Amino acid sequence: MKKTLKLGVVAALLASGATAALAEGTITTVVKISGIPWFDRMETGVELFAEQNPDMSISQVGPASADSAQQLQIVQDLVAKGTDALAVVPMDPAILEGIFKRAMDRGTIIVTHEADNQMNTMVDVEAFDNAEYGAALNARLAECMGGEGKWTTFVGSLGSRTHMQWVGAGEENAKQHPGMELVDPNNESFDDANGTYEKAKEILRKHPDIKGFQTSAGNDVLGVGRAIEEAGLAGKVCLVGTGLPNPSASYLDSGAITAIGFWDPQKAGMAMNAVAKMLLEGKELTDGMDLGVEGYNSVTLKDGPGEGKLLIGNGMVLADKDTYKDYLF
Amino acid sequence: MRKLDGRLVILSVLVLVLLGAGGLVSGGTYLSLFNLQSMATQVPEIGLLAIGVMLAMCAGNGGIDLSGIALANLAGVASGVVVTQFVSATEAPWLFTLAFAAGALVVGALGGLLNGIIIARLGITPILCTLGTQMLFTGLAVVVSDGRSVTIGSPDPMYELGNGVILGVPYSFLIFLAVALVLGAVLRFTPFGMRLMLTGANAKAADFSGFPKKTIFTVTYTLSGLLAGLSGVIIAARNVNVKWDYGTSYLLIAILIAVMAGVRPEGGYGRIVCVVLSAVVLQLLSSLLNFIGLSNFVRDFAWGALLLSFLAVGRFGLIESLAAAVTSARSPRASKG
Repeated sequence: MKKTLKLGVVAALLASGATAALAEGTITTVVKISGIPWFDRMETGVELFAEQNPDMSISQVGPASADSAQQLQIVQDLVAKGTDALAVVPMDPAILEGIFKRAMDRGTIIVTHEADNQMNTMVDVEAFDNAEYGAALNARLAECMGGEGKWTTFVGSLGSRTHMQWVGAGEENAKQHPGMELVDPNNESFDDANGTYEKAKEILRKHPDIKGFQTSAGNDVLGVGRAIEEAGLAGKVCLVGTGLPNPSASYLDSGAITAIGFWDPQKAGMAMNAVAKMLLEGKELTDGMDLGVEGYNSVTLKDGPGEGKLLIGNGMVLADKDTYKDYLF
Repeated sequence: MRKLDGRLVILSVLVLVLLGAGGLVSGGTYLSLFNLQSMATQVPEIGLLAIGVMLAMCAGNGGIDLSGIALANLAGVASGVVVTQFVSATEAPWLFTLAFAAGALVVGALGGLLNGIIIARLGITPILCTLGTQMLFTGLAVVVSDGRSVTIGSPDPMYELGNGVILGVPYSFLIFLAVALVLGAVLRFTPFGMRLMLTGANAKAADFSGFPKKTIFTVTYTLSGLLAGLSGVIIAARNVNVKWDYGTSYLLIAILIAVMAGVRPEGGYGRIVCVVLSAVVLQLLSSLLNFIGLSNFVRDFAWGALLLSFLAVGRFGLIESLAAAVTSARSPRASKG
């Protein structure tokens, strides 16, 4: 039995080895964890990019468990294998600094995503500017509230840098509407839908006249949405926050969630691969260029924290009851 | 004549088979010096932890060490936080590296000593004790580092330790082999090693023979902690940064390596050379799967299948009976000739 197993493995290996040899270049996307909806959605983008570039060998891999050591091992093996370019979504940017440096010294092209503090990378691709995103969420909230009434904010934790940037930009934006009054801001949700639900109920009791919620962590809309729905306030109290379309669908339909904001991992995956391909071809990246991916048609190029560049797209998506069905993941 | 060690034979054959298969499918890249070095630098951190688990298992009394990777992270984090405050990595690279390594080893040994004292003096079951200290060490590492990663930096000696090679072999791998060699010799040739194994094999008999059981347990767990500290040094040297949640999956992999190496979970038997080979086999297998680009869930599956087949082979004594059949078939032919 062992023999047949080995033969099977060898045959599979030979087949995959043969396809790899034909390719003009290899780009491998390494995600934080494989098998979760967010990165499954990213994989559809990577596959799409592979279809558009049949002469290249393009694929996505990721560790089976959420452990930065496992991701490090995959990256190290891919570098040793001689992969031309790696597009990595780091589990923990700090842990990958050493291997990224060695990889670049060896001539491997490194592109990252969701790691704007990564020192050793050539280009870090971010879907949007955090301040613009926070302001856009708040603008949608203000529109729903009619520009007046009490509102509050939720963050994953006070230590979460991006969340604080989002609500900070939201507060700035709200200043345009003198009628909007911020109460009990920066509630910590710890990305836990149940805890957020309890906290939102408290706030609804304390401020019966509250009109709006702006939330940050992915599960916050679910907790607050449930509290609003159970209080019979769906459609009367506005809720705008970061969330994913599939889990939020029923609350969007009932009106408990006004709108959700997110970036599409499918497009981010394509954008990373597009950048990697350009670097492979030796092309120069420029401010305002078009990557040929929706949401990355006019990107901003800045200096990153290290030698590399920070590439910021305009890939934010605000979806409400009418539009979320375009993004089911 | 010594009995043929079936486990050692299978592991050695597996190493060769995996190397051959890898070379075949990758068109040679898998066997390139660069990849062999790359794989060799990945083995030590987990291999050292597996040796620690093996020592704890051999001591018997339900021995196991679940605190290994947590202690390795704590050693790196604590030593990093303290040493970076007093020594500059750029101005005194050698002093920095030595101070960091010494600090991590001391933290590791102290953590192991704590395990040893709790288990030997207070008579707490190892699995409960090390589960508790695992959380304690993780918590301490979070507090010391504020939950952030700690930058150790990469002064030359440190970088060499994690990534450098001598005669084509990575330093870290050489250190791993040296440690394995020394511990193997200790287990086989010293009174301590013999008492450790005998205590594991039959605790009651060890008691009546007047073995200093408490000392044996304390020393064993301290050694395991020391190995974790060394693993922490190597992790820091490889990755430039250390963090409290690095390698959460290592806990189970270290146990897997030890069990695959034929270490008896009830205590009393285990060979270091098998643990080293077992760690190498797991590394070769997972690198091979990464080369093919298969899903990482396949790797977990392959490890599980490997472990189960090992257990089956051990249970039914397949290799031993095969060897016996070969020798008995050969002898009549010898008499004919």
